[in-house]
Amino acid sequence: MSKVMTGIGGFFRSIGCFFRDFGEAVAKGDVFVKLSLVWMGAGYFKRKQYIKALLMTLFEVLILYYTFAFAMDYVPKFGTLGTVQQESVFNMETMQNEFNDYDHSFLILLFSLFSFVVWAIGIVVWLRNIIHVYELQKRAEKNLHINTFREDIAEYKNHKFHITLLTLPVLGILFFTVIPLLVLILVAFTNYDQQHMPPSALFTWTGLTNFKNLFGMGGMTITFGYAFGRILIWTLVWAFFATLTTYIGGILLSLLINSKKTKLPKMWRTLFVVTIAVPQFVSLLLVRNFFADNGIVNTICANIGLTGWLRDVGLIRTSYIPFLSAPGWAHVMIILINIWVGVPYQMLIATGVLMNIPSEQLESARIDGATPAQVFRHITMPYMLFVTGPALVTDFVKNINNFNVIYLLTESVFTTTNQALANSQAKEVDLLVTWLFRLTQDNYNYKMASAIGIMVFIICAIFTLFTFNKMIKGDREEAFR
Amino acid sequence: MKKKINVVLHNVLLAVLAVIWLVPIVWLVVTSFSAYTGMNTSTFFPENWSINNYKNLLFSADTVSQFPNWFKNTFLIACATCVISSCFILMVAYATSCMRFKARKPLMNLGIILNLFPGVLPMIAVYFILRTFNLTNSHLGLVLVYSASSGLGYLIAKGFLDTVPASLREAAYLDGASEATTFWRVVMPMSRPIIVYTVISSFLVPWMDFVFSKMILNSGISSQWTVAIGLYNMLEKSLINTYFTQFCAGGVLVSIPISVLFIIMQKFYVEGITGGSVKG
Repeated sequence: MSKVMTGIGGFFRSIGCFFRDFGEAVAKGDVFVKLSLVWMGAGYFKRKQYIKALLMTLFEVLILYYTFAFAMDYVPKFGTLGTVQQESVFNMETMQNEFNDYDHSFLILLFSLFSFVVWAIGIVVWLRNIIHVYELQKRAEKNLHINTFREDIAEYKNHKFHITLLTLPVLGILFFTVIPLLVLILVAFTNYDQQHMPPSALFTWTGLTNFKNLFGMGGMTITFGYAFGRILIWTLVWAFFATLTTYIGGILLSLLINSKKTKLPKMWRTLFVVTIAVPQFVSLLLVRNFFADNGIVNTICANIGLTGWLRDVGLIRTSYIPFLSAPGWAHVMIILINIWVGVPYQMLIATGVLMNIPSEQLESARIDGATPAQVFRHITMPYMLFVTGPALVTDFVKNINNFNVIYLLTESVFTTTNQALANSQAKEVDLLVTWLFRLTQDNYNYKMASAIGIMVFIICAIFTLFTFNKMIKGDREEAFR
Repeated sequence: MKKKINVVLHNVLLAVLAVIWLVPIVWLVVTSFSAYTGMNTSTFFPENWSINNYKNLLFSADTVSQFPNWFKNTFLIACATCVISSCFILMVAYATSCMRFKARKPLMNLGIILNLFPGVLPMIAVYFILRTFNLTNSHLGLVLVYSASSGLGYLIAKGFLDTVPASLREAAYLDGASEATTFWRVVMPMSRPIIVYTVISSFLVPWMDFVFSKMILNSGISSQWTVAIGLYNMLEKSLINTYFTQFCAGGVLVSIPISVLFIIMQKFYVEGITGGSVKG
């Protein structure tokens, strides 16, 4: 925990330094540095970095243009998310029904958020610009060399190469993950649902109402609280077993295949790889029909008398085995089928990692007389955990969010008989993600889906915080070099 | 003698496991050659064999089944996604693993936090954003959805690059190589297994995924679909009895190119490249 605290402390200290530098630059800078507060290219212009000056000016003009030509239509309405309902008005000039100048709540939300991000970037660039220009001034005063534009560019291939590498990926993440996530976090505090669908209707802020409903304090929608509890427990059970079984299975299988005793290891590996080469929507939909109530496995089980025996024992009451259509059975089957899907993947990853164990470590262990079990316990396993440790945590989180397996295996096969769950559009085998997906796709209940999404995030965050601190923080990054 | 029995048992165990793993795949292949169009529920192997399913699938497209179109669409989307995602992932992995800069730890922590959100969640909002820019029901929109945030999946690649000995890079710097040269000429050639892993997994995303394509392309015309939604649609309750075997045939045809790719490239996973290069 202390590491987190020092991390946070360091973060604020560096922000403090940033503003101190800025203050110093403004106070001690010459006319051109001060002019840079208004015209961002001024400082560069003075130091004869004309191309940079031009680029900065262009940046400033674009930001200003964006603000006044676009953002001002949306941001002022952010507090209410719009007040003018869409109405059809008869236009005397064109003799047609036309819409009035209505407010679109979702666009107001989206574009306001987008503007905040743009402005935040603009302010950071503006602040850094001043600091940078002041540094140039100091270099000029000391008669030090000032980089030409070409030299500046060359820096991006060398000491600033990380900026070259990271710019595009980070922008992609910003626009396709961060901003959408922020939008949905905000939606969780509104009443955006089927009754409030823009453009024909407005939605507005409602505070914590959705979360109260989710925890069963809402009176009318008490079933949401019940469904949330049930689904949360199953999600965690599923994620635990799915991660554990495939991880251990993958390592064991790869040790089995890569053992010296194996004849034709490549052929075996290929056979297992074939099963994951088939896309999941094919293999899982196939398996779903394989285990269907009137499917081939049920026919075989009936022929060999398994179905009859199970009925005698009292485990089933139907004339077939409800592999994927009854709670309990479906839960176990889903985890078993997931072993089938996940183990070959883990086997490949484990094989790749096992082959990269520094061979001198293994050799010296063998020379020192270590048994295979000792080698596994003291070299192979720690190494595996070091390299795949972060992946193990993300695997757990991915399984909490494992949409494909659950959706493809149970959608339109499993129908719940539990009225309380059905009232909130949930099923016993749903994970939180499949539940929220159904809420958005079939019921347009965006407000509850967003609230559930935030809960999923909090759950994942709790698990990650506990493990990740040990896994990735600290100095172990360099341990195996 | 005891050792020999041990070896035999070892291989028998592998064989048993392999059979378990292959049963559904075998069923997929044999069903695709069935003469009966619906799901065969009485026997494992079909009673009458035929190749009509493949013929229908490839040469007589109808309103439900447009496999050649779907395959072409998915292939193009997969190529575009593969190029963008692989570059993004390797770039982020190199920057976070091999370089040290101030924003490194905060960015990595931010990445961890973002990875915690279910992937479906941002996509719901992305759908609205794409709709605002008229990019739903377009392949460009789908490629963006697949590849734009792919940089977040850098952790496995970083885990690998962490095991590439730092001494190699230091030697390169001493020889006067810039960071970019080190990236291209030293680290990347040594990272073939992880490059292959990255390329395969990015190429597979559009083939494996069906949620996002369903979200983005669903309301479009069926010739614009990807294989995933097309085949899923064949299993609708009203269609399954006429199209189940065609679904299997489509599944086989989709799996062939991917399997070939996988099997050619899987040897890269297991080549321990960095094992020997420091010693020399």
